[in-house]
Amino acid sequence: MATYPFRLALRSILHEKWINLLSVLAIAVSLLMTALTVLSVYNVDVATQKLPERFSMMLYLKDTLSGGEVENIMNTLKKEHPVESVKYISKDQALKELKTMLKGTEHVLEGLEGNPLPDSIEIKLKKKAVGPETAQQLAARVKEIKGVDDVEYGEKFLFALSSIKIGVKTIGILFIVIMSASVIFVCYSTVKILFYRKKEEIETYKLLGATKGFIRAPFIIEGAFIGLSGGILSLLGILLVYYIVIFRLSHTIPIFNAFVFPADMSFLLPPVGLFLGIAGAAIAIGRIKY
Amino acid sequence: MIHFENVSKHYDTQTALRNLTFSIEKGEMAFITGPSGSGKTTLLKLIYLSEKPDEGTISVDGREINGLKESEIPVLRRKIGFVFQDFRLLNNRNVFENIALALRIRGINNKDVKTRVFDSLKTVNLRHKADYYPDTLSGGEQQRVVIARAIVSEPTVILADEPTGNVDPDTSAGIMRTFKNINATGTTIIIATHNRKLFRDTGRRVLRLDTGNLVSEEQG
Repeated sequence: MATYPFRLALRSILHEKWINLLSVLAIAVSLLMTALTVLSVYNVDVATQKLPERFSMMLYLKDTLSGGEVENIMNTLKKEHPVESVKYISKDQALKELKTMLKGTEHVLEGLEGNPLPDSIEIKLKKKAVGPETAQQLAARVKEIKGVDDVEYGEKFLFALSSIKIGVKTIGILFIVIMSASVIFVCYSTVKILFYRKKEEIETYKLLGATKGFIRAPFIIEGAFIGLSGGILSLLGILLVYYIVIFRLSHTIPIFNAFVFPADMSFLLPPVGLFLGIAGAAIAIGRIKY
Repeated sequence: MIHFENVSKHYDTQTALRNLTFSIEKGEMAFITGPSGSGKTTLLKLIYLSEKPDEGTISVDGREINGLKESEIPVLRRKIGFVFQDFRLLNNRNVFENIALALRIRGINNKDVKTRVFDSLKTVNLRHKADYYPDTLSGGEQQRVVIARAIVSEPTVILADEPTGNVDPDTSAGIMRTFKNINATGTTIIIATHNRKLFRDTGRRVLRLDTGNLVSEEQG
């Protein structure tokens, strides 16, 4: 009679349809908000992971260095663990690049006598090494190298980026924990109310010889149903948000083109809802005493 | 079948049962009688472990039940059929489902449930009321539904608490006839009642309680 608990659960779901419907909606909203948070954190993460490819550290060299001395500096830099590659940029090449950049507004360079730009070395860091602390330590070390005049690497930008990343992740995790707890709480409250409403019925079950499993099963199934339904509704919600809002907006607002939608992750919502629903129901029933 | 050895039960400062020692034999039909508050219901509750004794030991079917683990209580209760004073029928289920519940709890398959429920309804002459809901039945009919639920699982013992408390004399006689028939099949039956007419001239054993003491043991 494995189907009997399901019949009892179905009877309860239909009989208590309004309280169950409200719980499903509450869980759907909570899970949808959680999904949107995860989506935001995920996108921030994806965006910041692309930045190391563009990050570089510039070493400006003293004017008086010979070719051998520059070579020595380059070799020293290559031995540094965080360094991926080094590239020498002569002052003439730098001026040429500057002129290319200023194409159309070359007049700003009029009046310059000679080339004021220094020779420089561009350092690309390994992807994993692009962080404020590693960059700062490396900058301090390379600044000590004889012949190096100055080091520049966008220190403030790196610190700001790192702070944003940590901040968004922390808030995201906190939000996910709170929302998950709220989903469990909604299932807990619903099942607890239903459990109290059926207290006399449960007493009769016990007196007729029902096991704890027999008593618990319909409530766990009902909790699972509420959680799963909430999860499915939130999945539909997030797909709707994606296709209606982001997909359409990307046609008119280009920044939305960069938005990444992890569809696989969205399909986790129903099982997550199911799990949280079962957890809430199990906590609500607690220990059954005879 | 059931043995009480120096059993006492107290509620706060009140003593519900004091130092009871008696046995009910297998296949016996016995009556527990006494005025209201004498401890009849408490005695039945101790047998199905709705209450636990404070002193003494109780054995059912050769097994001491005082120290049963919680997980073993359902096993004990499945050996017992109950006829509760307050019926304990579920008003949101029809008569069939109320009786079937006792079998579904035991994991009996649908086909057997149907056969056995209709058989037990036939025993109490309520075959035609299978689709009715309890609150549409008379007190006597509800009592018979409870008896049908108690016998459907073919228990070794039936405990009945004031089984004729809510019914007229004719229905009462009918219910007692049903109990006699069930007892004739070998089922042990214990009936708690304050109604002397039920056991008068039956030749059955009657245990009389008064303020928790077993004051006499006689033939009805």
